[in-house]
Amino acid sequence: MPFIELKNIQKYVLKDINLAIYDREILALVGPNGSGKTTILNIIAGLTGYRGDVFFDGKNVNKIPAHKRGVGYLLQDLALFPHLDVVSNIAYGLKIRHYPEMIIKNRVEELMDALHITRLKGNYPQQLSGGEKQRVAIARAIAPFQKVLLLDEPTSSLDAQTAKYFRIELKTLLKRLEITAIIVMHDLLGAEEIADRIAILHKGRIEQVSKPEDILFHPGSDRVSEFIGMPNIIHCDRCRVLSTGLIEVTSGDLAIVLPYEGTKISKIAISPHDIYISDTEPPGPALNRFKGVVTEVIPLRSLVRVKVNVLGRELLTELSGEMFDEMNLSVGKEVFIIIKLRRLRYAE
Amino acid sequence: MTLKRISILLSFSVFILYGGLILSLFYFYNGQLFLETIKSERTLFSIRLSLITATIATIASLIIAIPSAYALSRFRFPGHGLIDTILELPMIISPVALGATILIFFNNPFGILLQERGVQFVFTVYGIVLAQFITTLGIAIRLIKAAMDEIPVRYEEVARTLGATPVKAFFTITMPLSKKGILAASILTWAKALGEFGATITIAGSMAMKTETIPIAIFMRLANADIEGTVVLVLILVFIGLSVLYGVRLLTRRTSPQ
Repeated sequence: MPFIELKNIQKYVLKDINLAIYDREILALVGPNGSGKTTILNIIAGLTGYRGDVFFDGKNVNKIPAHKRGVGYLLQDLALFPHLDVVSNIAYGLKIRHYPEMIIKNRVEELMDALHITRLKGNYPQQLSGGEKQRVAIARAIAPFQKVLLLDEPTSSLDAQTAKYFRIELKTLLKRLEITAIIVMHDLLGAEEIADRIAILHKGRIEQVSKPEDILFHPGSDRVSEFIGMPNIIHCDRCRVLSTGLIEVTSGDLAIVLPYEGTKISKIAISPHDIYISDTEPPGPALNRFKGVVTEVIPLRSLVRVKVNVLGRELLTELSGEMFDEMNLSVGKEVFIIIKLRRLRYAE
Repeated sequence: MTLKRISILLSFSVFILYGGLILSLFYFYNGQLFLETIKSERTLFSIRLSLITATIATIASLIIAIPSAYALSRFRFPGHGLIDTILELPMIISPVALGATILIFFNNPFGILLQERGVQFVFTVYGIVLAQFITTLGIAIRLIKAAMDEIPVRYEEVARTLGATPVKAFFTITMPLSKKGILAASILTWAKALGEFGATITIAGSMAMKTETIPIAIFMRLANADIEGTVVLVLILVFIGLSVLYGVRLLTRRTSPQ
C-alpha cells in the first residue's frame, strides 16, 4: 500500500494528479518551470488548499492542518529562522512539540553529527555558506522525527560538483533514517542519482512515473522524450571487455567504448547535446569518434538538431545556431562526431 | 559636486533646521523660571498626565494594531482594501476635525447612551486617551504592517510543518522577527500621542489640573503671551522625546541577534 497517495488533485496548473509514493521511497518530481512541482509539495505539506484527496498511510488527511501532518519540508530558499542560531533552528520543531530537554539535546547532536555541522552550532544563518545552510535546513526539517520529507530543489544553490556529492550523501542519510522523500528537481541527471522513481510533470499533468532507467530508455510519450532531451537509444549486440578498464559495446558496425564496471551493457542512452559535431577531423585519440553524413537538419529556437548517419545508424545531435551557421552544415555534408564518454548512460 | 557630497550636505541641513529651531528657544530661556516652572504642581501634573495618557493610548493602539497589521499583511479578505485605505484617515484629516468628529459622535443618541451607561469621555481624562488612541491607531497599524510585510511568509510555513500552530508560529517567528519594527512603531505612536493636541483639546478641553497635557499647557501659555513659560514646556517635551528615541536606539542595538 502506498505511504502517500494523491487522488484527483486539482490546484492552479495541476490537473487531476494521481500519484502514489511508497514507504521509504525517494521519488523525484521533475519537470520544467511552472509545471506544478512545488504546488504538489505544498499540497502534501498542507500549506495550501486543493481539490481532491491526500492519503497518508491510507488515512485521508484533507482536513489535517500542516502542523499535525508530520511532514518535514525543505524549501528552495531554505528559510532558516534568522533570529535563531543553528542549534535553535534544528531544535525548533522538537521544542514546539514539547519533547524533553534530554531528547532535544541528543537529537540535535545526532543530526549535527550526521550532517557534519557540529562546528557551526553557535552560528546564525547569516554566517553560513549556501551548503552549510542546506545542511542545517535538512537537519531542522527531519529533527522532529518526521517520517516524510519534502525537498524543493535541494541542490539549486550549490555548484555542480558539490551538488553531486550532496545528492549522494542525502540519499544515504534518507535511506539510513528510513524517510520517505519527495524531491522536486529540474535536472533529470541529478534526479537519476538520488531517486528510486521519477515522476515527469508537464503543464500540471504527470506524464510518466518510472524508475530512472525506464524514463531514459522507455519514455512514455513524445513530451517525456523531448523533456529528457530526445536521447539516442542504442541497443547493444555484443560487449567486449578491454584490458584497460574499459568495455567495448557494439551495435551493428558502431563500436562505443565505456568504462567497465563489472557488468554487461544492453542499452546506451546518449543525449543529442552530449555529441560534439565538427566539419573537420578533430585532433586527439579516435575514441568514440566517428565519421558520418548529415541526413536531416531540424532548426529549433536557438538550437539546431542535426541527424547524422554513422555506419548505417542515425544519431541525433544538437548544437547552437551560431555553431551551425559557422560550420555551414547541410544535408549530405560529411561531418565528424565525438560522443562524450562521461555523459553516457547505460542499462545493464 | 558629487551626489555623495550633495546628499550628505542636505542631510546636515535637516540637522541644522531642527537643531536651529531648538537652539532658538534658548533666546527666551530663563534659568530661574525654568526651575520654578518645572517644580510647579501644574507643570508636573501636565507631564504626569501626558506620560500616562500617551502610554495607555499606545498600549491600547498596539493591542488592536498588532493583530490587525498581521491580518492585513498576511491575508486577503473582503474589505481588505477598504480597511487599508481608511487607516490613513487620521493622517489626511486635521486632528481638530477628527476631534470634532468624535465630539459629534458623543452627541448622537448612541454616543449619549454610551456615555451614560459606560465611560464619560467628553471633558475628561478618558477623552484624552480616546483622542490619542484614535489619532495614533491608523499610524501604528500602518507601521507594524510595513514591518510584517518585510518578513517572508515562508518562515511561518516552515514553522507550521515543524509542528507549530498558526498562533505559535506567530509568537515564535513573526513577533520576534518584527520586534524592531514593532518597537519603532510603538515609540513613534507614543511620541505622536504625547504631542497630540488638536483632537485632545476638542474632546477633553483645556482644564488646568484636569485635562491639561503638555501640548495643551504650551498652547495655554502661548495664548497668555507667556513666551518664557512656553519655552520651558517646549524644552521639556523635546527632552522627553529625544531621551526616549535615544534610549530606543540603544535598546535595539543591544537586542540585535548578532
